[in-house]
Amino acid sequence: MALQITGLRKEFGGVVALAGVDVSIELDRIVGIIGPNGSGKTTLFNVVAGVHRPTSGRVLWQGKDITGKPAYQIARMGIVRTFQQAMSYRGLSVRENVRIASEHGRSYGGAARPKWDSPDEILAFVGLAGLGNEMAGSMPFGNLRRLGVAVALAANPLLLLLDEPAAGLSENEIAELMELILRFPRMGIGVCLIDHDMFLMSTLCERLVVLNFGTKIAEGPPTLVLNDPKVTEVYLGNEI
Amino acid sequence: MEIFIQQLVNSLSVASVTILIGIGITLIFGLAGIVNFAHGEFLMVGGMITWFLVTSGLNFFLALVGAMIFVGVLGFIAERGLFRFTLEQPMNGFIMSIGVSVILQHVVIRVFNEVQKTIPDPIGKVWVVGGIDIIAMRAIVVLLTAVVVATTYFGISRSRYGIALRASIADQDTAALMGIPVRRYVTGVFVYGSVLAGLGGALMIALFPITPFTGSVVIIRGFAVSLIGGLGNVGGAVAGGLILGLVDGLSAGYGSPEWTDAYSLVVMIVILIVRPQGLLGGTLGPRAT
Amino acid sequence: MNETPHFPEPAPPVGRRRDIASERPVTPPAVQSEAKGRSGWVKLPSREETVVAIVAVVFLVGFPWCNPGYRFLSLAITTGFTSIALYGLGLQFGQAGIMSVGHAAFLGIGAYTAAIMAGRFGLGFWVALPFSALFSAVIAGLIGLPSLRVGGQHYIIITFCFCALLNIALTNGGSFTGAATGLDVGSIDPIFGINFDQLRNAYYLVVAVLLISLLVTYLITNSSYGRTLRAIRENEALARAVGINTGLHKIGALMVSGAFAGVAGVLQAYYLRHISPALYGPFPSLYLALMVMLGGARLLYGPLAGAIIVSFLPEILKLDPIDSRIAYGVGLLVVILLLPGGVSAGLLDIYRWLLSKRRR
Repeated sequence: MALQITGLRKEFGGVVALAGVDVSIELDRIVGIIGPNGSGKTTLFNVVAGVHRPTSGRVLWQGKDITGKPAYQIARMGIVRTFQQAMSYRGLSVRENVRIASEHGRSYGGAARPKWDSPDEILAFVGLAGLGNEMAGSMPFGNLRRLGVAVALAANPLLLLLDEPAAGLSENEIAELMELILRFPRMGIGVCLIDHDMFLMSTLCERLVVLNFGTKIAEGPPTLVLNDPKVTEVYLGNEI
Repeated sequence: MEIFIQQLVNSLSVASVTILIGIGITLIFGLAGIVNFAHGEFLMVGGMITWFLVTSGLNFFLALVGAMIFVGVLGFIAERGLFRFTLEQPMNGFIMSIGVSVILQHVVIRVFNEVQKTIPDPIGKVWVVGGIDIIAMRAIVVLLTAVVVATTYFGISRSRYGIALRASIADQDTAALMGIPVRRYVTGVFVYGSVLAGLGGALMIALFPITPFTGSVVIIRGFAVSLIGGLGNVGGAVAGGLILGLVDGLSAGYGSPEWTDAYSLVVMIVILIVRPQGLLGGTLGPRAT
Repeated sequence: MNETPHFPEPAPPVGRRRDIASERPVTPPAVQSEAKGRSGWVKLPSREETVVAIVAVVFLVGFPWCNPGYRFLSLAITTGFTSIALYGLGLQFGQAGIMSVGHAAFLGIGAYTAAIMAGRFGLGFWVALPFSALFSAVIAGLIGLPSLRVGGQHYIIITFCFCALLNIALTNGGSFTGAATGLDVGSIDPIFGINFDQLRNAYYLVVAVLLISLLVTYLITNSSYGRTLRAIRENEALARAVGINTGLHKIGALMVSGAFAGVAGVLQAYYLRHISPALYGPFPSLYLALMVMLGGARLLYGPLAGAIIVSFLPEILKLDPIDSRIAYGVGLLVVILLLPGGVSAGLLDIYRWLLSKRRR
């Protein structure tokens, strides 16, 4: 059961953000998407998650065509994305942030037990134990990132699209984030993440997809991809 | 032909007042994202001050300047004392402006009274242009407005300040990063818009009677004009004013007068839904996501 | 299945701010499983909330027994149905974050629907009430559609325009709407032998509807539905990303708000016995917005407080209408600048501050 993206193309007026991208993502895996700024990574997420409608191309999820469906429907089908800027319901408590997501995410259906007994359990899982009553808007950035992950988890995802989850985090926080993400495949949640931290990407991801100007220029295991001359050329000057 | 020219001048003079308000509204919204509901009341206060000064014996044109100064100061106080605190939350600013408008209306009723005010035609002459009789005052209103429009337009497109202003309207954060004192520009624009409103009020009372509630009538037309022209777009406001003036003139002549207001309202709703930044190109406001 | 994380606990944050709108009791809330999207669990009122509720009910019910006199009793009735409309506005603004300065239009739709139903079709109060509520709700939903496309400030102007347009339509509606003079309305058909021409009975009718409105507001605010609305208010993009159909919920909130206003309009029509377009124009809408901001849109008693302050304070302080309106305007400015949650939030803060002092 997978996500299959075929020939995805997205134009904004005259700008071609995605120029026909094909990607397949199996579940219970961690796949990474890298590429220089402006290569279309976030646009890819946005189109898959339903924020934008593609100009052409198809997105298949678990065999069903979800191209162009609205964002909230796609979330309910199990694809949950996080945002580059740490987003939260600022004026609400941390616990409410999580609770709202759990009340609207993918339904558990039939006899399936919910994964979590309470929002506090999710908070503890991401390392925000005891902060349930805090206002989301008053939290430090690192905690906001954790909250973003907690909210996404609460929505009962099958596939998590993490958009630059490490941006703005300290070394310690990145290490903790990596530990957290590594658990997801064992919980039955596939992960697709975008980031610029090459250490994080090469450690976490089984497979990397490299985008440049909206096209896929390489795909494969991190060691191969990061040594591919096509890729290093695009990342001139970047340390791997 | 004579009637047509006279009608034209008449419509233009009405449109002029609307344009003066419209410029203020469009600049203030484009730059600061503030929807100042009380702008109509600024105009009304300008008219009232003019009335007061004229009936106290002052020459009309001196009274006009007095009104402009008074309303300019009023705008300064409003911006510094109130709207400045809501720049991050324009919605609060809008609601506050509702309060300001209520206060201004009723303070004016307190200080003067509810009865409509009017002044005699300050010039009282009729010019004969090309064999056609034109009421001098109306022509002067149009001419003054044209001067203001030209000044504003060239000021914005040519002067240093104007360019900085347009930069701030386009992208407030970048402008600030480049050293443009955006907050001061916000105050400046607010005061400028208020001065124009004061002028509009003075010109208006030279033509028509005004009441303390005239403001709320005018503001809708002011918004309509800014929306048609595009928020933040001065030239557009002028175009919008002319278009609306034309619609008014036609509807007064051929349609039913009660529905005149309805036309501008419908136009506004349609524009707001279909093209919220305005018809002729404008901005969605500095905080548009 | 759930593994305890072994990274260090985050440091406790400095200074705890309390989130008034979403205070939760100590018992951990349960996550719903199968029944998704329904009203789900409703938070039970805390002890303090129950006490306040009892006090409020006693006050509302007992008011006529304090010999208020004709004038104050009539004022109370007017305040009553105004509050009902305000609760609608409070829900759409306080919960969903959608402000409107055209709310009086829906009072007008309710009132005129009732008047026309009585005048033309001989249908009385009890039939008009649900029908007008429904009709107002539908129109409110339609007017709400633009809010899905445009931002808050633009939408506010749309609501203003709609209200002004309705006013013009009513004024020029010929004999159907009674034009500028308006329409007369008969009296409420008695039920269970209660004659509503008696002021006291009319008061209790309004109070009954008001209490129902309070209950509905409480249920919405403290249920999953309220949380959903607040999520949409706080961060609409995030709400969509977790599966909330934001458009549907926004329209729903607006429809509920319209229904409240419609009900209030019917009550107003049958109380005043005569309605005219002037009651439902942009000015009254502005005053409604003013009242709900003054009282506070998010707390349960905010709208009621706003209505009471605006109606009764001038009477008590013997202010004439002009000075009182200046006072309202100033009050609004003060509230926005200093007390963003309104008077009710201010009182709540004082109460909490006193409580914290007592605990020392």
